[in-house]
Amino acid sequence: MVTMAGTLDFLSVNVWHILMAIGNLLILVLILKKFLFKPVQKILKQREEEIGKAYSDADKALSEAEAEKELYLKKLDDAKSEADSMIKTASERAKAESAEIISGAKAEAERRRRNADEDIELAKKKAADEMRDSISEMVISLAEQVVEKEIDPKAHASLIDGAIESLGEE
Amino acid sequence: MEIEVTGAKILLELPFGITITETQVNMWIVMLGIALVCIWLTRGLKVRPTSKRQIIAEYLVKTAENFVTSNMGKKWKWFAPYIAALFSLAMFCSLSSLLGMYPPTSDLNTTAGWAIMTFVMITFYKIKTNGPLGYAKSLTEPIFIMTPMNILGEFATPLSMAFRMFGNVASGTVVSALVYAALSVANNALFGWLPGILGEMGQKLPILQLGVPAILSLYFDVFSGVLQAFIFCMLTMLYIASAAEPSD
Repeated sequence: MVTMAGTLDFLSVNVWHILMAIGNLLILVLILKKFLFKPVQKILKQREEEIGKAYSDADKALSEAEAEKELYLKKLDDAKSEADSMIKTASERAKAESAEIISGAKAEAERRRRNADEDIELAKKKAADEMRDSISEMVISLAEQVVEKEIDPKAHASLIDGAIESLGEE
Repeated sequence: MEIEVTGAKILLELPFGITITETQVNMWIVMLGIALVCIWLTRGLKVRPTSKRQIIAEYLVKTAENFVTSNMGKKWKWFAPYIAALFSLAMFCSLSSLLGMYPPTSDLNTTAGWAIMTFVMITFYKIKTNGPLGYAKSLTEPIFIMTPMNILGEFATPLSMAFRMFGNVASGTVVSALVYAALSVANNALFGWLPGILGEMGQKLPILQLGVPAILSLYFDVFSGVLQAFIFCMLTMLYIASAAEPSD
């Protein structure tokens, strides 16, 4: 039924055409909404969410890193103080040990010196005793020769010893 | 020589006096084109855009939303698709004349329909904001005598909008037709002087019609079409936004 029924007037008013213009406009609104605005807005929203998530992740990572840094600093401090205290105790122990060793050595030296002194004393005494004996023998033999008479060492021992005593004291 | 300026060609007559003219068909072609471009632009959208298409699509949406929110306020963001549709339809309908099509915006019925939409929304928001009584009362201000003038003023808004766009686009068509006809007359006259076959050929070839209409169409079709679409959208937004503001 296609008929070329001529043209409209240059200025014509037709209610159907007005309604169709309105309808066309509203249909285009729906088209734009469905095919342009909705998809783009959805993508923009997703992007916003992703960026927000990235930001919060970054913040979280930062705070975690801060906390870990704190932890490590604390650990470092602890290690330092521990090392300090270890060095201190070690040096104290070393000092104490060295003092002990020195005092032990001193004591040993003292003991040895005392032993040596005692030995010397003993040797002196022994030498003195030997000397006394030999002197008393000598004196006796001399006295025998002088008095030409045998002296009984036993009988005169106290006399001779007293003489030697007095000698040694001089 | 007669120059005839007519409206759209009637392509189809349906019962009840409904006719389908070039206006409707061309508008459908434009709408189809816009729809296809939208579908093509938003194909394979990604959260991290990799295609220029997506950047263009996002730019268009953001521009439309900024355009609406900067003129109407943030709460009108939902209105962006309507303005985008109105702007793109008006602009591409006017630009369709570049392809030699009959521009649907040079049909008064088209611009009247859109202006009536604006008028309905203006009135709806006026009644919604001030209440039916408040709206009726605002028509009687400042004094009761002014009521007829105020009612006239209400209708003047869509009327002026409809005729503004129609007049600009249609006058462009008229001026183009006149200039084209004048150039053809000038062409005939100029090459009529030439002797023999040269003159006949010159008269048949539209030599003078080559350059000037193109420059005119640059103004009437491109500049005026875009500008009128912009003006129509601006007025729609401003009227509706101010209608939604409490009147006092």
